[in-house]
Amino acid sequence: MFRQFTEHIQGNQVYLLFSLFIFLVFFIVVTLLLFRLRKQHVDYMSDIPLQDCTEENINLLEP
Amino acid sequence: MQPDKFYYDNKIVRNFGIATVIWGIIGMLVGLIVAIQLYKPEMNMHNQYTTFGRVRPLHTNAVIFAFVGNAIFMGIYYSLQRLMKARMFSDVLSKIHFWGWQLIIVSAVITLPLGLTTSHEYAELEWPIDILITIVWVVFGINMFGTIIKRRERHIYVAVWFYIATFVTIAVLHIVNSVEIPVSFFKSYMVFAGVQDALVQWWYGHNAVAFFLTTPYLGMMYYFLPKMANRPIYSYKLSILHFWALIFIYIWAGPHHLLYTTLPGWAQSLGVVFSVMLIAPSWGGMINGLLTLRGAWDKVRDDVTLKFMVVGLTAYGMATFEGPMLSLKQVNAIGHFTDWIIAHVHVGALGWNGFLTFAILYWLVPRIYKTELYSKKMASFHFWIGTLGILFYAIPMYWAGFTQGLMLKEFTPEGILKYPSFLETTMRILPMHVMRSVGGALYLTGVIVMAYNLYKTAVQGKLVANEAAEAMPLPKLNPEAGTERWHRRLERKPIWFLIASLIVILIGTFVELMPTLTISSNIPTIASVKPYTPLELQGRDIYIREGCVNCHSQTVRPFRSETERYGEYSKAGEFVYDHPFLWGSKRTGPDLQREGGKYGNSWHYNHLMDPRLMSPGSIMPNYDWLITQKLDTTSTAAKIRAMQKLGVPYPAGYDKIANQDLDKQAKGISADLAKDHIKVKSNKEIVAIIAYLQRLGTDIKAGKTANN
Repeated sequence: MFRQFTEHIQGNQVYLLFSLFIFLVFFIVVTLLLFRLRKQHVDYMSDIPLQDCTEENINLLEP
Repeated sequence: MQPDKFYYDNKIVRNFGIATVIWGIIGMLVGLIVAIQLYKPEMNMHNQYTTFGRVRPLHTNAVIFAFVGNAIFMGIYYSLQRLMKARMFSDVLSKIHFWGWQLIIVSAVITLPLGLTTSHEYAELEWPIDILITIVWVVFGINMFGTIIKRRERHIYVAVWFYIATFVTIAVLHIVNSVEIPVSFFKSYMVFAGVQDALVQWWYGHNAVAFFLTTPYLGMMYYFLPKMANRPIYSYKLSILHFWALIFIYIWAGPHHLLYTTLPGWAQSLGVVFSVMLIAPSWGGMINGLLTLRGAWDKVRDDVTLKFMVVGLTAYGMATFEGPMLSLKQVNAIGHFTDWIIAHVHVGALGWNGFLTFAILYWLVPRIYKTELYSKKMASFHFWIGTLGILFYAIPMYWAGFTQGLMLKEFTPEGILKYPSFLETTMRILPMHVMRSVGGALYLTGVIVMAYNLYKTAVQGKLVANEAAEAMPLPKLNPEAGTERWHRRLERKPIWFLIASLIVILIGTFVELMPTLTISSNIPTIASVKPYTPLELQGRDIYIREGCVNCHSQTVRPFRSETERYGEYSKAGEFVYDHPFLWGSKRTGPDLQREGGKYGNSWHYNHLMDPRLMSPGSIMPNYDWLITQKLDTTSTAAKIRAMQKLGVPYPAGYDKIANQDLDKQAKGISADLAKDHIKVKSNKEIVAIIAYLQRLGTDIKAGKTANN
């Protein structure tokens, strides 16, 4: 299916290959950065919406 | 260190919430009226201000910018304050933002029925309102960034990144797609023409879906879903990955709205490839949302807000699966211009935007009024009638789309079109249109019940306009901060975050738009294509005013089924003087690109007066006011001058004598009509629009005759 698709691409393929290349580089960079995130930080970040700091939730405040 | 005491502003959240509900009901009601007009054209009450062409943009603007827009601001103003542990930056800016946005909507409600439109889909509002939108958007931006800067939480949660990306991208989209040259206070011409204008418009149109209907809602999902389920998001890492991938890829996908048109092939291919890739980050978001509920599915049974969230996320998943499929050229060949697209967008709008909005309203209103929801039963009723409404809406529209798309392409064994009359295919799908309006009515009923339920909830509680909160002020960073990981550092630098998002969306924008806008070989010119005559230009503006483009396309795709039906397929060079382009996106009626010379002037006269005289069963409304209304020729000179500024080669000083040519051509048409015993003065609007319709697509034929 993929071959059939690439063979039917019209016009200048340089644009397409260039664009896909940029995305690939971008995607790999973001993925690598993700692997380097510390678990402690990830847990902290995902917990942010659950802390409201309103009077009801004041006990959830950080020390 | 003592914690800071401060107050969250709930009043502004409440105000945006009220606006969401009111505009939602109005926008959906208008939608229901236009849906009924598609099988009962007399539902326009024989009034030019309420015909489909003028009111359909009112529906789309009302639901996108009024209903969804206010819901976005409601969600952002509630969640941003809590995520930043700070009150909004300025109460004054909040108020200006709120009232400014309502003013924009009211301006749309007034100007669109009056026929004041740029004809760019979802960007119809004329230039003074465009400026107002820019000002209000900047106010919103200052208020948002002010809040972020004075925050008491060092790190910026993923929801806020989506808000930042929304702000910056909508600003870029709005400015680029509104580059127009004013002719008068309420009339302008787009700076780009034809293919270039089409590319800019669909780069905008597609990304308005991305950055107005998707990213702010994903941001809201990342805040409200964990709150509703009382558990953190399934994967924070996935949220980072899908955020960056989503904003990178989305910006490239616009050309899938222009497949098989005269847009350069490479740009179409780019649009297709990136549209297919888009499924990954979209589903990343959906999966992250649904998996947040792992181990909490028992809550979904009892909690109506979670029910709305689950169906909303599922609708998002379906719409974002279907989008890439529709981008495949083979599928697009059948689906484009049909009701299939209407079904597709409504699964997204009713399911994703609508249901998420309802979930947030049901969750948020009792909280800011410190009470319980007035009636859980009513909310549950709303959920079920809303879900049924979506099904009754979408299924008939899919059916209608497939049916008409296939009928239009069907040939007999002898090789001629099986359904040469477009009208025959329209009449076949009218029962589906009736069912669709039933679906819409069910959905609207649910919203009205919700409005009552929320009103009663508010009455039984008391608004906590300023909700007390406490948080430690941000301590100064210690020197070790320099060793932080890259993304962690970015998470506490909002301005850098804004710049990073801007760069990511500009990459696709430049690669895709620049070659078509700057390299002239992308738009081959055709010698026989000449500028419109003054009368045709005025006729074209009436065509724009009446919103004909909402039902009639002006682009013949290179399929045998289309060249047989309409004539020669479109060439890029034919549109070089079309400011704006009028290719359209939906064929409720036939394409008009090759309409010129197909019928006599008297046919058009009778057809516009009452379409059923010439095409029995037609669902087009009567345009009889064109016969009585006098053409305003005082604007001709200004229009010619504006076109000259845009590079349309009218001779120097032509603006002063243009009306003489206009009169001459109009008298010719009037005399021709008189031969068929139609008495109409040459200064009526109908003469101008007939002149325009008779010109459509004839330049190429003229060139051929000359060459022979």
